[in-house]
Amino acid sequence: MRPDRPTAFRMLGRVDPTMLVTAAALTAGGIAFIYSAGRQSAALSVLWQKQLGWAGVAAGGMVAVVATGYRRLLAAAPALYLLSAAVLVMTLAFGVTINGARCWLNFFGVQLQPSEFAKLAAILLLARELGRTDKPAEHWGELFRAALIAGVPFGLILLQPDLGTAMVLLPVTMAMLFAAGMRLRHLAALVLLGLLLLPVAWLLLDGYQKERVRVFLDPWRDPLGSGWNKIQSELAVGSGGLWGKGWLAGTQNMLGYLPRPVAPTDFIFSVIAEETGFVGATALIALYALLLFGGLRAALRAPDRPGMLLAVGVSTLLFSHVFVNLAMTIGLLPITGLPLPLVSYGGSFLIATGVALGMLQSLHAHRPDPA
Amino acid sequence: MSRARLPMDWEVARLRVLFAAMLVAFGVIEAALWRIQVARGPAYRRDLARQSVRRVRIPGPRGRIFDARGRPLAENRPAFGLALYLEELRPRTRRATLTGEVARVIEELSAVLGLPPQTTPADLRVHIQKRLPLPFVVWRNLPDTAVARWAEMGSRLPGVDLYPEPVRAYPEGTAACHVLGYVRRAEIDVDAEEPFHYHLSEMAGAAGVEKVYDHLLRGRAGGRLVRVDAAGYRYDDLGGTEPRPGHDLRLAIDLDLQRAAEDALGEHAGALVALDPASGAVLAMASRPGFDPNAFVPSIPADEWSRLAQDPATPLLNRAAAGAYAPGSTFKPIVALAAWQAGRAQAETTHTCPGHFTIGGARFRCWDTLGHGPVDMPHAIRYSCNVYFFHIGLATGPDLIAAAARAAGLGRRTGIDLDHEAAGLVPDPAWKRRAWRDAWRDGDTCNLSIGQGPISATPLQMAVLAAAIANGGRRVTPHLLTAVRAPGEDDFAPHPAPAPEPIGWPAAALRCLAAGMRDVVMADDGTGRRMRVAGFELAGKTGTAEYGRKEEGRKRGWMIAFGPVERPRLAVAMVVEDAVSGGTTVAPRLQRFFAAALGIPTPPRRNS
Repeated sequence: MRPDRPTAFRMLGRVDPTMLVTAAALTAGGIAFIYSAGRQSAALSVLWQKQLGWAGVAAGGMVAVVATGYRRLLAAAPALYLLSAAVLVMTLAFGVTINGARCWLNFFGVQLQPSEFAKLAAILLLARELGRTDKPAEHWGELFRAALIAGVPFGLILLQPDLGTAMVLLPVTMAMLFAAGMRLRHLAALVLLGLLLLPVAWLLLDGYQKERVRVFLDPWRDPLGSGWNKIQSELAVGSGGLWGKGWLAGTQNMLGYLPRPVAPTDFIFSVIAEETGFVGATALIALYALLLFGGLRAALRAPDRPGMLLAVGVSTLLFSHVFVNLAMTIGLLPITGLPLPLVSYGGSFLIATGVALGMLQSLHAHRPDPA
Repeated sequence: MSRARLPMDWEVARLRVLFAAMLVAFGVIEAALWRIQVARGPAYRRDLARQSVRRVRIPGPRGRIFDARGRPLAENRPAFGLALYLEELRPRTRRATLTGEVARVIEELSAVLGLPPQTTPADLRVHIQKRLPLPFVVWRNLPDTAVARWAEMGSRLPGVDLYPEPVRAYPEGTAACHVLGYVRRAEIDVDAEEPFHYHLSEMAGAAGVEKVYDHLLRGRAGGRLVRVDAAGYRYDDLGGTEPRPGHDLRLAIDLDLQRAAEDALGEHAGALVALDPASGAVLAMASRPGFDPNAFVPSIPADEWSRLAQDPATPLLNRAAAGAYAPGSTFKPIVALAAWQAGRAQAETTHTCPGHFTIGGARFRCWDTLGHGPVDMPHAIRYSCNVYFFHIGLATGPDLIAAAARAAGLGRRTGIDLDHEAAGLVPDPAWKRRAWRDAWRDGDTCNLSIGQGPISATPLQMAVLAAAIANGGRRVTPHLLTAVRAPGEDDFAPHPAPAPEPIGWPAAALRCLAAGMRDVVMADDGTGRRMRVAGFELAGKTGTAEYGRKEEGRKRGWMIAFGPVERPRLAVAMVVEDAVSGGTTVAPRLQRFFAAALGIPTPPRRNS
């Protein structure tokens, strides 16, 4: 064994404390508001305890990833990618259907969402393939390879159908191509192509998805039905004001205007914004900015190119979730079921986020020391 | 540690652009949040505080049920209650309380109407706590005189108004009560996805057609948005979605036949089923004693419910489909068919009846202890000779008899669109080994051959048997629903019925049976001669089965019948409890039923 070979233990000592504290603060805050959102219903009042358990598992996942090291993960990327694709196919075949989408798989009594992990496997393989050379990825060939790698999980997740989770792969792939040095002309062409394909995509949407878009444009078309969430969510956020109504004092949530099942999950931000106001919401966004800053700093200091791309991919994934979720809650985007990283209730996504942060931490731990 | 890798300039630049783009995106969110929470926050807060919206669930009116000729069997009638609109009674002074105000108004109203209030102060407290924006209904289902008195004298009271509510009504009272069933107040689904704050009461089918077709009869609920102020009183209505009524149903039941069937039963406990032998449509299904489904509307008092549920005469039991009884001699046609199919008997097969029959040391008696002498198959049916059927039953064996019974539809549910249908029981040696851990003996075969012992069948199953003999050997699936009308439609759409299935009986055997059963009614020495109706050829088979403790000597009288013989329009099974015999108790009642029933479709006007 070479003397400078980093041991897992030493790597754990070199993690980024800022990112660690930020993530812990977001998770703790999330649990506090899951508690607040779940008080009105017996079924939901235990969620905060469950989330606490999930957070423990997620922390374990993070530690395991740092101990393993991102390089071993990159080395195993093809295998992980194939495994995740196989599990996605299994989900389509044997998965549990909730709300019309077959995106859950039963692992010994625990229901998990394999798509959350498949996205990470795709990022790993993308980082490995785009990072093969040190030259900018200026050729169409690299673009097609990236499209193929992202396309398989994208298609499989779309079949579930879970449009929101699949769509997140788009900005992630674009950001990684961008960081890999792809020509701006090519990127622009891609974006243009995407815009041209939008009408086709509309035809492929399910009835309920189209309804969500229509409701986004005019929530009062069905104020009792599908427009309800959007109207009530905006009312909750708006009534929070500058300072909020205080923890556990959000009347929108308390009176059950926010549908109880989604308040602790996809609409947790409207509970936070109602109870802590503009100040609390801004603090939350600042914490996310700090987390992303840590991620991109890890990218800048990455000891190799695949590592740099990995950090970009993971950071963009987190960013996309945060942005789409917040924009949906305040009515800037149609409603899609994307959870808020570390804050929304949900085991699979919390564990996947822990693993993703572990990758960033591992990169940080491998940073070159000042000479 | 790792060797330093200096990122290239363009890499640094692009990563910075990426981070900057993320910050800009967050900036957009921040700007939107500022606009919603700070700039327009006070407006949103005002909206929320003063004009919170409550969702009220309004059930759609229940669909109606009609008989085959469009006469209503179940409909909705407007009932009037009196309700207090609490927002108009809110206390004006600091000393007054809402409960005090309401109690004062209720007292005044009670004096005007001459009726005690139907609600207690506890009801009022619960209402104020949980349903403040909704009117408080003090009286429901008021008699017309009380409504008139209120209109005359009480309408000057503030905050009081009539409260119309649709109420289920059965215009024919107890007629077809077991077919129609009854309704109960529906349970509120508190964990439903749609967050309704308040539910107006809705009825759900709890028995009979009301229950089986509840999914069609129940309307689609609408909702109303009610704005309430900070104190929780109703502020105004914001509109909402209209409820949709449920589907209307048309049954095969013909009210005239139904009444004739119930008249034939009279005060006697028993049941009568009349089918269209070609299709299996249930033209009449009567069971007595019965109940009045109107008693369940809007809700049945607890003492009345326990009286109905615990009555030893079981008025809630639909004897026609849920009661399984030993069929007695009405089972003999099955034995004849089984023997014929096994090659053990034909029309000419003759056995001599000395009035008794001895096997294995046990002596079985024919009902006519003097004996019928030598009889062939048609005569054995005409006289209902037990000894004849002991002979051919023993020759055929229990397994083939049981198989023939099952082929005719006995021992399993017919599949009629009613709840709680009984399957009955067809015993055979395997069953006896399993259930009684005992071997099958010849005596069991003798009992089975005359429809006695553990065998049981519902009147509905026996009517299916009568229909099969009448229609040339096809087993029909009895059904009640014939057509459905969707809300907003003018016309009923036919509801498909299962097609009859051929049983595979030999045509010669059927002819022999039909001839024997015709003689049961038409011959002067037939057991069912009391069923004769002038001008019509009818056929039938009587039966008498003992039940209860032996020393009580209680008997059920049975009869299956069809007619007119040349073109059967009706296939009937009737059972009467505490009968003397099928021939003396049931035949005259069926005579009344057939006379009424055959007179109905074409009034007796003869062109000569």
